Amino acid sequence: MSEKVLLVDDEIEFLEIMSERMTARGMEVTTAQSADQALAIIAKKSFDAIVMDFQMPGMDGMEALKTIKNKRPELQIILLTGYATVEKTVEAMKVGATDFLEKPADIEALSNKIKNAKTEKMLIVEKQTEEKIKDILQRYGG
Amino acid sequence: MTKNDNLLAEAGVKFFGQMSASATHEIKNTLSIINESSGLLHDLSMMAQKGHPLSLERIKDISQRMTRQVKKTDLVLQKLNRFSHSVDLAKEIVDIEKTVTFVLDLVSRLVEMQGAIVKVKPALSPMLVSTNLFYLENMIWRAIENACFVQEGEKKVMISFGTDPKAPSIWFLMDTTKDDIMDDLFGSEKDHALLAYLDVSIKKNKENNSFGLLLPKRI
Repeated sequence: MSEKVLLVDDEIEFLEIMSERMTARGMEVTTAQSADQALAIIAKKSFDAIVMDFQMPGMDGMEALKTIKNKRPELQIILLTGYATVEKTVEAMKVGATDFLEKPADIEALSNKIKNAKTEKMLIVEKQTEEKIKDILQRYGG
Repeated sequence: MTKNDNLLAEAGVKFFGQMSASATHEIKNTLSIINESSGLLHDLSMMAQKGHPLSLERIKDISQRMTRQVKKTDLVLQKLNRFSHSVDLAKEIVDIEKTVTFVLDLVSRLVEMQGAIVKVKPALSPMLVSTNLFYLENMIWRAIENACFVQEGEKKVMISFGTDPKAPSIWFLMDTTKDDIMDDLFGSEKDHALLAYLDVSIKKNKENNSFGLLLPKRI
């Protein structure tokens, strides 16, 4: 099954080319030009990974990362950035970013990170489901 | 070196760093698009080798996109180069309006990141001052930053110029309903050092949420 990816960047040309290249690699790509737009899409649709620019006008990547992880902890977020400082990278990883990639990104490296993110998400969802079942069994004396 | 000299040097280095970081980020973004466009051409050529038809229109479109990004990169480099030369002379005759327009172009990405809209109302006549260009640019950026920073939500700033050529001034009108914002403006020691070095005084108008940088004439 193809990976469902949400690509978030304020540069429209970057979105167009990246989504074309990712689609050619078998991924199902949805794009958003801002963090606010991304949040609205996430509320309606499910994704295996979110690839998001770290610095965007309005709500920046860090703020968006916190909001998304707070609402949907299972979502895997790969941050793209022009220049990653050690402090920002550490902070983003602490908040829950799955991975970091510096621009210009290598498409094959990004594809591998997306595949890993999908596996990680499936493990989390499996664990969440197991816990829910356990909880139901305990409640109803199973 | 006096304490003010140190503060001035710190303010200058910080300003130079901010502008360089912003410009290099812009370049990284354009390079990234060029990189992906080149990658897309590679993808298409690989597909063509496997027998998929190659659209010449598509190739033309990608090539135009790359040219556009190269031009965009060149513009960023041009403004970074012009900015770097601001430190060449200790004092020079400076056109205030042209300097404000240049600073606004230089900081456009930083302003956009703050979600702010800054506009300039053209001056009625050219206003010239003899000053240190680099620190004047620094002062203008600090004024823009101050004007945006004190506002909440949608940040709007209108920059205009005084009408008396003998008493040059730059005015920053903020679109805000927030009270007591004037007290927060130019409160840092570095700002005070900058103002003192340029011999600029600040006039705050609480009635309409504006403030002016009053520059010395000295030509």
